[in-house]
Amino acid sequence: MKKGILLLTIFSFLFVACSDDDDNGLNPEPIQSEQVANLSAPQTGGQGTGQDIGGPFTKFDFASGEVTTSDTDWDIAFRGTTIAINGGAVTGTADEPSRNGEAGAAIATGTFASVTSAEGLTFAQDGSTAFAIPTGSDNGWYNYNFMTNIISPIPGKVLVFRTRNGNYAKVEILSYYKDQDTSQDARYYTFNYVYNPNTGETSFE
Amino acid sequence: MRKTLLINTLFFLVAAKIFSQEKFVDTTKVTEIDEVVLTATRTARQLSSLPLPVTLVSKENIIKSGTIRLDEILNEQTGIITVADESGFEGVQIQGIASDYILVLIDGVPLVGRSAGNFDISRLTVGNIKQIEVVKGPSSSLYGSEALGGVINIITEKPKTETISGSASYRIGSFTQQDINLDLKQRINNFGYGLFANRFSSEGYDLNPDVEGQTVNPFENYTFNARVYNDFSDKLSVFASGRYYNQNQDAGFTVNETSFEGDSKEEEWNAHLRFDHAFNSKLALEYEFYYTNYNATEKLVDPISDDVLSDSNFDQRLLRPEIRGTYTFENNSKLTSGFGYQYDELDRTFFDEKVDFTSQYAYIQYDVDLFEKLNIIAGARFDNHSEYSNQLSPKLAIRYKITDHIAAKASVGYGFKAPDFRQLYFDFTNSAVGYTVLGYNVAIDKLRELQDQGQILDIVVPESDLQDPLEAESSIGYNIGLTYKKKNWNSEINFFRNDFQNLIDTQIIARKTNGQNVFSYFNFDEIYTTGLEANFGYKLNNHFTINAGYQLLYAFDKTKEDQVKRGEVFARDPETNETIAVEKSEYFGLVNRSRHNANFKIFYEISAIDANINLRLIYRSKYALFDTNGNGLIDDYDTSFIDGFVTTNIAATKTLFKNFNLQIGANNLFDYTDSGVPTLPGIQLYSRLNYNF
Repeated sequence: MKKGILLLTIFSFLFVACSDDDDNGLNPEPIQSEQVANLSAPQTGGQGTGQDIGGPFTKFDFASGEVTTSDTDWDIAFRGTTIAINGGAVTGTADEPSRNGEAGAAIATGTFASVTSAEGLTFAQDGSTAFAIPTGSDNGWYNYNFMTNIISPIPGKVLVFRTRNGNYAKVEILSYYKDQDTSQDARYYTFNYVYNPNTGETSFE
Repeated sequence: MRKTLLINTLFFLVAAKIFSQEKFVDTTKVTEIDEVVLTATRTARQLSSLPLPVTLVSKENIIKSGTIRLDEILNEQTGIITVADESGFEGVQIQGIASDYILVLIDGVPLVGRSAGNFDISRLTVGNIKQIEVVKGPSSSLYGSEALGGVINIITEKPKTETISGSASYRIGSFTQQDINLDLKQRINNFGYGLFANRFSSEGYDLNPDVEGQTVNPFENYTFNARVYNDFSDKLSVFASGRYYNQNQDAGFTVNETSFEGDSKEEEWNAHLRFDHAFNSKLALEYEFYYTNYNATEKLVDPISDDVLSDSNFDQRLLRPEIRGTYTFENNSKLTSGFGYQYDELDRTFFDEKVDFTSQYAYIQYDVDLFEKLNIIAGARFDNHSEYSNQLSPKLAIRYKITDHIAAKASVGYGFKAPDFRQLYFDFTNSAVGYTVLGYNVAIDKLRELQDQGQILDIVVPESDLQDPLEAESSIGYNIGLTYKKKNWNSEINFFRNDFQNLIDTQIIARKTNGQNVFSYFNFDEIYTTGLEANFGYKLNNHFTINAGYQLLYAFDKTKEDQVKRGEVFARDPETNETIAVEKSEYFGLVNRSRHNANFKIFYEISAIDANINLRLIYRSKYALFDTNGNGLIDDYDTSFIDGFVTTNIAATKTLFKNFNLQIGANNLFDYTDSGVPTLPGIQLYSRLNYNF
């Protein structure tokens, strides 16, 4: 059964790839599939310290696949469990980067591979009332377990982003802990992402 | 027909030698009177004749096993498990049904005082009881709310002799566990009394030395019980009982490297008054009045700065007058009926004010032998409650005697549990994390208050969802079984299925500006527990008894099962951390449920030296404590599984100088421990000296 699905997946992959070629008659840039390990996302205050949450966000740019300190050339940014996007308006939290792009975010459900396109998703932006990726346990991308005090990315939640420049990327957060080891320090993101460098194209295959 | 009449008459007299071959072989030397069960029908019924699944534990079994608290002895019975849930509080599970849905009674009246829904049965000493009766399956038709999964009834002993009889005992064991009992009973003409005192203490134990604080902190508790019996005439007698329980336990908690210290106290009062009135030879009436108060307080303070970390109290009272009667017809069928009023009140931390419930109820039950071989019990109870919709709880049970040795039984019943005070009136905000839990009845008002304070980001549930009253949780339970009794053999098999609906669970109702959630309680879960239970007893001779029991259990959430089938539930591959879909075979079921439970017991009587010895093995297969991967259910990828384990208990008793018994024993002989099983310390050795007079 599993073999069948795999074959089917490969088959449809080839098929989609071929039809793209036929339609455009161009050579599109290949889709990038990467992993980012141990992206450090520190924050100050919060979580029982009695202090307000603060500190700069760690910004990430899909086009370069790198962490950046640029004020403008970033798509998504991390601070603790909070994820901001470069689209919409400031939410009002301290030390927040200003938004100057048109990024958007949606949360799809399924395995990472099953999210094959950004087509048909509704993209939200950050705003004065909330982040596009909702904060809090079980609201957005993570679950906080009261028994173990561990933050786990909710399985089956695939974050789909429209970048500031109108490209599409999907992200699966694998771990919130250094080296994907929950006994190590928190606030280290490891995630897989697939980025379509062809502006406006929604496909991830 | 005449034979039926005869048998029924003999039932009544409870002296029938005719049943001597039907001895329940759980223990040796069981007398016929020990086999009478009161809980199943509210009338005295021979255990073997009942159409319902009932477990009976005799005093003799308790004493021989060297058990001192109720949880220890019930844990050794098939299909009965004590387990701590996510809240950390321990409760009892029957047929896979959690403690929230099991009613605990003493002499037929209910005990109150639950922690996060769990009734801690280790609160109860077994030092002064005649027998423990456990009726499995829905019993709301007689007992109302909370009796979905079953009823545990502790029956105290009546004085029988004109001279003072009783016992005094002292036991000391590992962890400086000490248990002292004094039991006195006497009957003087028409008057009788029973006095009982127990002190139980332990230094506690620590299963996880890496973590600050002990697993179980030192405690000491006292139980006092005084009972008075008086026959005013052949027709009228009175029973009065007062019980007091008090426990003091050290408490400690470490937050951000500050150690808070203090203690937690528990106090319980029970007052039970009953008049038994034989109106005439057909009609027997009982007038009962019952009051109980359960009080728990805990205060934790930083000993250096005097900062108070927590200061909580819980004060519940229940008052219940009830009148019931049993009418015996010409054909010996019995009509039992009763009505009563219940007042229940709770004052506790995280409630704005003291809240109370009132309810009125009436029940009726008809118990008839239709033919010589067919016994039918049909009953129903109606509860009118101040906080939720009325409940009608019917029940039907049938027993058919196929041969002299084989009988078939089947029953179906409805059970319910009223929403509890916490689910309706809670107002709790976690100070460390910042989430809020609101009782359903106060949710709208409290939400508005939070909104006015600017703490609410958005409300995710339409307010109309919070308008209709919360429904009672309910279940329908089915039991079908066969019993076989012949000479030295005694065995039974029972299939069970319990379908629950409207289970109450928390759900997010709003998001807070601090990124956390506001929860309230809703009816949404639908679960089932199903499986089979088998018990075999074989009495080799008068000295040697073997018992074996097994329960197979499947306990699942129906909604989650459907989600898994549709491929909507995901987990993470332990190697790559990538998301994978959870297959149907990987959905493990509800927390704290083991697929297999088994026990094996040998009791051996060595008459030549006036001694007895026994060995009891208790097995439960693996189970999970909580969801660890954030998908809201237990699957094979979760990491909170406790592997299957066996506990081995042995006890040996020798009688000395006629009146003295010296017992030595070991619980958990092979020293099995797991920090995930906080209620099971390592090997516990003990010795006990008992003096009977």
